Amino acid sequence: MKNNGMSIIVRTVTRFVYGLIILFGFYVIMHGHLSPGGGFQGGAVVASAFALLLVAFGSTGLKGRLNLHWLQTMEEVGALSFLALAFLGIGTAFFYNLFANSGGFLFGASVPTGSNAGVFAAGGLVPLMNWAVGLKVMTGIAAIVIIMLVGSRKEETE
Amino acid sequence: MRKVALFVAFLFVGAFLLLGVADMRPFGEPQIADMDDYYIANTQREVAVNNVVTAVVFDYRGFDTLGEATVLFAAVVGILALFRKPREDER
Amino acid sequence: MIVQSILHVVVLVLIVIGAALAVWFKDLLSSVLALAAASLLVALEFYLLQAPDVAIAEAGIGAALTTAIYIIAIRRTARKEEE
Repeated sequence: MKNNGMSIIVRTVTRFVYGLIILFGFYVIMHGHLSPGGGFQGGAVVASAFALLLVAFGSTGLKGRLNLHWLQTMEEVGALSFLALAFLGIGTAFFYNLFANSGGFLFGASVPTGSNAGVFAAGGLVPLMNWAVGLKVMTGIAAIVIIMLVGSRKEETE
Repeated sequence: MRKVALFVAFLFVGAFLLLGVADMRPFGEPQIADMDDYYIANTQREVAVNNVVTAVVFDYRGFDTLGEATVLFAAVVGILALFRKPREDER
Repeated sequence: MIVQSILHVVVLVLIVIGAALAVWFKDLLSSVLALAAASLLVALEFYLLQAPDVAIAEAGIGAALTTAIYIIAIRRTARKEEE
């Protein structure tokens, strides 16, 4: 077969489902400081949607949609922004949460103690680190799966 | 000889596991619980986050997350080095 | 409480059965699917133990991504295990 994908049932179900999986992954990353989950878990969910696309459509089905160099660049952007956010509080300590309870514009609100529904604009550096780690994990794992699929196919044709 | 060594190792590991199970606490009653009491009491005031697990992962124990990110980066670089196409002048 | 204990025991026994099937199958695709089922049950057990963070990570990594990578590897190599 030219494009080594799976049957039409798998392809149709994938076409319906993968957008919802990506949406749920971004929800888990965005609400990582309120609900269970966080950057790593949400990034893994988004990357599993990419892996589902790759397994269902084969390596030819993604051509033009996900670029490998772009994925690697975004992974390093995520890692470096995580390090930069960690270095932001180096005046006090490494990984010091500079923006928490600052009252500023960047997630600086305070949270009442005890059982409450949660404040979205709170947490300081924690939501930003969630986004950095989520970007890193989703692009990194997608790059791993794409490299395994594409790189092993090149050896087969030679 | 090899089977005898493996059997002895199996017996040792099984004996240690059984000793550990015999000494285990009842389910849901941990013995040492100092740090988690501190986290649960102070997370909302110090980090301003409701999710204590995220506060531990990204604030109190940020170095662990940094190591996990390093492991993922090493995995990506290793798989890239394993599967990359060789350039023309390297063949 | 007794219902929860019974649920724990059932899920743990199913995890052990899935892991044993993953070792026992000679068809590697069936083995990978048994491993994915065991991993999904591990995620369910984490959820029952009130650790939903670890449950999401286990369901995403263990049940989805590992299965996809194993299926890609099996498609490139042999389907059957050699004796």
